[in-house]
Amino acid sequence: MTLSPYFSLTVLFVAALAFGLTPLGLAWLWGRAFSPAKPNATKNAIYECGLESRGDAWMQFRPAYYLYAIIFLIFDVEAVFLLPFAVVFTGLGYAACLSMLVFVLLLVEGLAWAWAKGVLTWE
Amino acid sequence: MKSIEEIKSAIEAAVSGARVGIVPNGSPSGQHSLLLDPQHAVAVAKFLRDDKELQLDFLSNATGVDWLDKEITEKVKVTRPVTKTVDGVDQTMEETVEETRKHVQPGYLEAVYHLYSMARKHGPVILRMRTGNRTDQVELPSLTPVWRSAEFQEREIFDLFGIVFTGHPDLRRILMWDNFKDHPMRRDYVEPDDFEYEPTAHDEVLARAAAHRAARQGSAVAAAEANAGAER
Amino acid sequence: MAVDEKLKIELGKQGVFVTTLQELYNWGRRSSIWPMQFGLACCAIEMIATTMARYDMARFGAEVFRPSPRQADLMIVSGTVTKKMAPQVVRLYNQMAEPKYVIAMGACAISGGPFKQGYNVLKGIDRYIPVDVHIPGCPPRPEALLHAFITLQKKIDEQHLTGEERPPHLDGGAQGEFPVPEYGEHDLEPPSNPGVWPVPITIR
Repeated sequence: MTLSPYFSLTVLFVAALAFGLTPLGLAWLWGRAFSPAKPNATKNAIYECGLESRGDAWMQFRPAYYLYAIIFLIFDVEAVFLLPFAVVFTGLGYAACLSMLVFVLLLVEGLAWAWAKGVLTWE
Repeated sequence: MKSIEEIKSAIEAAVSGARVGIVPNGSPSGQHSLLLDPQHAVAVAKFLRDDKELQLDFLSNATGVDWLDKEITEKVKVTRPVTKTVDGVDQTMEETVEETRKHVQPGYLEAVYHLYSMARKHGPVILRMRTGNRTDQVELPSLTPVWRSAEFQEREIFDLFGIVFTGHPDLRRILMWDNFKDHPMRRDYVEPDDFEYEPTAHDEVLARAAAHRAARQGSAVAAAEANAGAER
Repeated sequence: MAVDEKLKIELGKQGVFVTTLQELYNWGRRSSIWPMQFGLACCAIEMIATTMARYDMARFGAEVFRPSPRQADLMIVSGTVTKKMAPQVVRLYNQMAEPKYVIAMGACAISGGPFKQGYNVLKGIDRYIPVDVHIPGCPPRPEALLHAFITLQKKIDEQHLTGEERPPHLDGGAQGEFPVPEYGEHDLEPPSNPGVWPVPITIR
């Protein structure tokens, strides 16, 4: 009798499931035996840094928040690349400088576009 | 910078009808302050900010002062006619007598603003405004439209002293909660009586704790007597 | 349940490790006390220093500061509790999952400290929630916080699983919610929770 090649995989799968579920089951049993649940209104309330929450969390956010995050990336990525560039600047050839210039100009173009669109002014 | 008298006359020349007083400061710093009348305060503030020579563009500090009713005892020299008999002849003579008079100076609340100039690098110029009394006429014009930095400080003055600033864009309490009723920095503020546990009390706290204990024991005695009366 | 201490040491010498369920449980809890991440005033700076490399609270299994009360076991009240802040602190304590412990850190948190006679400072957070360890000091040094932490661990080590002595989180009848004070017109209402803080009797 030859074992199916999947048999060992099944054994491993069951072992993996047991590895995850056994502690959870033990914790549940422990809770049942020793530690009674004490739910109450304050404990189950929505967490709002200690304040009582008002209104619904499912509300629309202004797209300006996301635009700001994206524009922040321009400066962030630029800084990340500019620092090593500046460190080895004296040893670089024309090609490297030119490609860095293109890279920076591409990012500046994005910033200029956002500026022209009026994203930078917060109303 | 101009002296305080020069500023006073400049204000009076620029803002018609403005009454400006000078409150002298006798300390070595000699920082005398200008006492503004509430009706023209905003116009005066605008002048002080926009005037080419003063350019007081920075309000560094706004604060409140509570002045209680004050009983002033002063000795006044009074001249009055006295009839005297000199050499058998009645003569009416003027005589100067010292008299002690007492009068009550009504209390008021005061807002004090310290101004500097960032452009001209001089200062401070100190402004004061006084309310009519401490109870119902507690309104003063807000200087927030002139100096934006006054906003939170005027809210604090409103919260702790109870001066109501008219024209303030957002006059709410800032340190205490909204339905709090008292103004804690007033001198007649009564603290809540939570002196039940003072293990190392001394001075004022000791007195308050003793008063607290006496009141509680007194009420306990009264309750016991009432119970005894009901049983009888 | 209990194992004779001498027998236990003797067995340990022979390479046999004996324990009880209670010891195992307490060991597990005291070695992974996760504090809640919040600071109220200057004591919080010392609390931050305690978690950093020099004092290294991670040695005690408590480096994981949780940003949510649902995952936290320990509330370190680090600093001045103003009357405006007190309801929030009590509500956060209520929202923590059990078992939960409280360390009141610094003079302000235990009694009001230098602001005791002020108009907006609570005279000790123990008026509203049960405090396990009080640390005096203004602010207490990181060593003091570590000492408080070790004291709390010792306290947890001595807890019983069953019986009258068991801690509140194992006791179904024990209080699970502590009333959140309301903002009154002159003071917090009530000014203290008599169930948690009976007025201490001062002997003169």
